[in-house]
Amino acid sequence: MKRRNFLKLLTFILGSTAVSSFAYPLIRFLAPPQTKATGERISIKKSDIPLGKGQEIVFGGTPAIVVNVQGMGYIALSRVCTHLGCLVEYNKETNRFICPCHAGTFSVEGHVISGPPPKPLARLPLNVQGDNIIIG
Amino acid sequence: MRQKIKERWEERVGLKEIIRTKLKEYKVPKGVNIFYTLGIVTLLAYMVQAVSGYFLLIYYIPHPDHAFKSVQDMMNVVPFGWLLRMVHIVVSNLMVVVIILHLLSIFIMLSYKKPRELTWVAGVCLLFVTLIFCLSGYLLPWSQRSLWATTIVTNIPTAFPVIGEYIANMLRGGENVSGITLSRFFALHIAFLPPIFLSIVGFHIFLVRRLGLSTPSVSKSAEGHADAHSFYPYFFLKQVFMIMVFFSVVFFMITFMPTLFTPEAANTPADPLKTPLHIKPEWYFLAPYQMLRIIPNKFFGISMQILLIAIFMLWPFLDTKEEKNILKRPLLIVMLIAALAIWVSLTIWGKRP
Repeated sequence: MKRRNFLKLLTFILGSTAVSSFAYPLIRFLAPPQTKATGERISIKKSDIPLGKGQEIVFGGTPAIVVNVQGMGYIALSRVCTHLGCLVEYNKETNRFICPCHAGTFSVEGHVISGPPPKPLARLPLNVQGDNIIIG
Repeated sequence: MRQKIKERWEERVGLKEIIRTKLKEYKVPKGVNIFYTLGIVTLLAYMVQAVSGYFLLIYYIPHPDHAFKSVQDMMNVVPFGWLLRMVHIVVSNLMVVVIILHLLSIFIMLSYKKPRELTWVAGVCLLFVTLIFCLSGYLLPWSQRSLWATTIVTNIPTAFPVIGEYIANMLRGGENVSGITLSRFFALHIAFLPPIFLSIVGFHIFLVRRLGLSTPSVSKSAEGHADAHSFYPYFFLKQVFMIMVFFSVVFFMITFMPTLFTPEAANTPADPLKTPLHIKPEWYFLAPYQMLRIIPNKFFGISMQILLIAIFMLWPFLDTKEEKNILKRPLLIVMLIAALAIWVSLTIWGKRP
């Protein structure tokens, strides 16, 4: 390798290292710290959610809903639409979730029925213990 | 004494020399029309935004618990706060209109052709930086519209696998739009975007001065500007006229259409647990918003928009024909009319519930 080319390569490597050593801290600085709570549990009384009704909750910082569906029992779903993040609303007449932004429709189990959402609503772990519904 | 001060000032600064060489001896081609003045109108609109923005900063509190109230107080309590805020809102919208008209006129006159391709690219970049300005600005009042429009936009990167979620979280500072997002957008709006915008404007003006104004395709004047007018007073007066027209429109809208750009959702405090029904973005985002509604695949919808933006930005490099008179380019006319018709239709469609 000629001395000139070697010096070019060396300058490039040193320059890239210098840029990276500044870029990495900047990217880490902009990335949000991991603050998501783990092991969170929410308890709701069964009597608070009569048949055909839903109760909105916030689980792990995310808006969610627990619905009591005829023949299916209690279902806990994230209310965040999988299309572009708007919050879906439960319509008890149609027994569906509707997104007010881009008109995505989900079944009561969270499956996509129509509209642009690419995947179902996230389902949250739920247990019924005695008179209580435990989410988480 | 006064004369001596003037002479000494002139000796050191050379203002007369600058006016003579940069304004009086600088030539513009004959036949330049009012559409050529839209660049200076855009620059002036930006300056109005900067000055009104500095004043709004005195009362605005960038915190989710106080932002909405501080803006409402500005409108209702602070003397003439409403005026400064209305100027900021109306000029931001009209600035987008002026830039679109500027680009449209450049396109119709085919002034983007060699050697002015980069001038076009810089102009398109300015349009997008202005749109980012608008977007980051309308989160700041922390209203329902602010919160949900930002939620939609910051979710757009999630269409892309692997890195999409990471980019979205980086933009928001978390998984949802929150106080952290407000701080980020505030910093973007007042500290990061202005130098970016001014650098692109500087580059754009440098290219315009270096290459000169393009000759209108309908003019008989030669490209070399041999047959030309002085910039001052001929073109300068046209610019002053258009600036006056611009301000007339601004104050007409503030007086007679004060709620045009501030719908109900813009005057309702942000509620992170309730997306308002039929939430709509600003008029300039309605077409892409409607596109996302009608294209069933999120990845495809967003990729298509990025592709369209790339084609729009790099158009001078794609259109290689040398003909500079659009009347002799029927296919291009059809394409332009079709593109405009689609954009207008999507905008109107997007406005409907």
